Amino acid sequence: MALSIADLPKEDLFGPGHAGCGGCGAAVAGRQAMKALGSRTIVTIPASCMATLGGSNLKTTWQSPFYHTLFEMAPAVSSGIRAALEAQGIEDVNVVSWAGDAGTADIGFQSLTGAAERNEHMIHVCYDNEMYMNTGGQTGSQTPMYAITSNMTKGKTIKKKNMLAIMEAHGIDYVASASIAYPLDLIAKFKKAIEKPGFSYIHILAPCHRGWQIPPEKTIEFARLAVESGLFELYEVEDGNRTRNYEPPFIPVENYLLPQGRFKNLTQEAIQGIQTSVNKHYGRGE
Amino acid sequence: MAKNLPVVPTAKAGSLAEVPAGITWRIQQPVILETCNMCLDCTLFCPDGALVQQNSKIVLKLNLCKGCGICANECKENAIQMIPEYSGVQGVFR
Amino acid sequence: MSTTLLTGSEAAAYGAKLARIEVLAYYPITPAFPAMERVSKFIDDGDLKTRFVRVESDHSALAAALGASLAGSRTFTVTNSQGLLYMTEVVYHTAGLRQPVVMAVANRALSAPHSRFPEQGDAISQGASGWIQLFCENNQEVLDNMLQAFKIAETVRLPVMVNYEGYIQSHTLEEVEIPNQEKIDQFLPLNRVRTLDVDNPQGVNTVASPEFYMDYKFRQNEAMEQALTVICSVASDYAKEFGRDWSGLIETYQMEDAEHAFVAMGSMISDARIVVDELREKGQKIGLVKVRTWRPFPAEALREALKNVQLVTVCDKNIVYGLGGALGTEVKSALYGQTVRINSYVLGLGGRDVTTEEIKQVLELSEKTEKQTTASEWFGL
Repeated sequence: MALSIADLPKEDLFGPGHAGCGGCGAAVAGRQAMKALGSRTIVTIPASCMATLGGSNLKTTWQSPFYHTLFEMAPAVSSGIRAALEAQGIEDVNVVSWAGDAGTADIGFQSLTGAAERNEHMIHVCYDNEMYMNTGGQTGSQTPMYAITSNMTKGKTIKKKNMLAIMEAHGIDYVASASIAYPLDLIAKFKKAIEKPGFSYIHILAPCHRGWQIPPEKTIEFARLAVESGLFELYEVEDGNRTRNYEPPFIPVENYLLPQGRFKNLTQEAIQGIQTSVNKHYGRGE
Repeated sequence: MAKNLPVVPTAKAGSLAEVPAGITWRIQQPVILETCNMCLDCTLFCPDGALVQQNSKIVLKLNLCKGCGICANECKENAIQMIPEYSGVQGVFR
Repeated sequence: MSTTLLTGSEAAAYGAKLARIEVLAYYPITPAFPAMERVSKFIDDGDLKTRFVRVESDHSALAAALGASLAGSRTFTVTNSQGLLYMTEVVYHTAGLRQPVVMAVANRALSAPHSRFPEQGDAISQGASGWIQLFCENNQEVLDNMLQAFKIAETVRLPVMVNYEGYIQSHTLEEVEIPNQEKIDQFLPLNRVRTLDVDNPQGVNTVASPEFYMDYKFRQNEAMEQALTVICSVASDYAKEFGRDWSGLIETYQMEDAEHAFVAMGSMISDARIVVDELREKGQKIGLVKVRTWRPFPAEALREALKNVQLVTVCDKNIVYGLGGALGTEVKSALYGQTVRINSYVLGLGGRDVTTEEIKQVLELSEKTEKQTTASEWFGL
């Protein structure tokens, strides 16, 4: 049965009062995901905006246990938490590590690949804003080609690393991409991941309006344009079977790229190249 | 005298909502119009949990709203309007 | 109780078993690995109900142990040298989060150049980390210190390192008495503290502003000072129950009328006891001070123990570059203002042998040295 917003819990386990920017895409992702995960969830978050905006000193927005870990270790910490819960006979708790693209694909990759290989009973979430926003917007492996960042002012010259493919190659229980513009799809994926006995990886495209240089109110809109243009595919891999969850209308990629300040240097040739690769990926033969 | 603090550096669950961060940055705020069809999309798109369903209405928790404007931008019915926090014509602070 | 032949690694493993650890996280490194293999075997044989997290790195080993500890389980890991350095970030973090994780460290030299041989440099490098550090002189003490470590850690809410030297202790068989499990259960009851608990949710390690950070650090250091007392009371409780008194912070041997004191940590101590006995027979007024607790540093206890001697010879199997041997430096600092002559020696780095012969030579050299011209003199080059 399809999910409906009316059936979701009204309670916000994450969000109210958080210290993030107005229009924060990461916070949207957190709010949506917690609707599925529920209060019996222990979340570890390495250094990132998401960790910082969770609170400071004696105050936190989190209603469920949250632990701000060191940068490269959230999946390892979560593995230890799961081990402790098992040792204590506690079975009804979801264990989640929730990292940004750096804490997932770069500095955090070692502990992530370790936990995935062990098929730990946990979910790792990458909220991907495609640059290191907590330190002001530097380039990382998840930054797309051509994007201008604070330390590559002429734009990145190499492609984004495909984390979803890498995680799929681990042969884990569940791999899914999700977008904050498609909340019910995102929530459904978390609900699926909860049921898995092993490791799940969910990669959420969560724009950062500051880094992407778009107006704050357009955070969700650009998350949607990424999907509609075919640049961010919504799919899941369950027990080795790959399913596309959404057939995009294939709006021209430039409609997504050009309004973003970070792509202001894009040439027509570059846009054409991106369009060609999207077409090729979806097998449209154009 | 050192402060009396928890042994492990910890924060009380949900306590940040009592002293919301960032709402002083707000320069505009949403108004929900009669044309709202209760699709509830805005309740999931709001980064701050400021829009909540109460019975048959969407209610704005102004103490949580940072005024980002996502709700107005996303509303398919155009039933949310952003109005300035300070209205020059009327000369009043809201 | 039963007596058996155990390596230091096995003794550490038996300590973990008797403490009924619930979670074990570990990444292999030489020479620490046999300890973990032994614990894994206990698990495989059904002698220990422990979840083993087979992590992909030393950094993740301590991270997983820390996660388990935050979730309320008694946890243990073991490492040394590069592994310890790799996990250093988590070492400091664990202390700041006040988690009673116990880690055995089979002390080994640090690269470069590459060495896999014994030395205390790895543990010394963590001297400011906020971990309590115990050094063991033999394999029996490894086992006994493991059990005391959990008790100390859970009392003051700080992590504890149990140090024993690679190979010299980790791979050498000695007679070890294994305490009775029931008595250990009484000595070390599980007092579960869940910081990450869905029934009592909290945000852990939220950002601390300047108004808070320093107060947390004050409390952490206060716990370290409290440990000075707790380590002593735990040692004496253990002695009452199990008949072996390793003393708390330091142990004095033949010090009543001693004029010359030998001060060191770790495996050198058991050799030094033999040397002291030998020299005593020859009529020399020599004694031994064993530093069992390296952190918190037992400055007051050392001042008391060394107040009547004329000469103190400190030996370090470590070097703090540009400063000298770590223990030598600390002893000088502890005895500041006293008129005693202190000679500090660095020796035995990277596995260079320190036998009773070397200890005798150092003591002789020290007696002839009126005033050292460097902070520490290198012996045995």
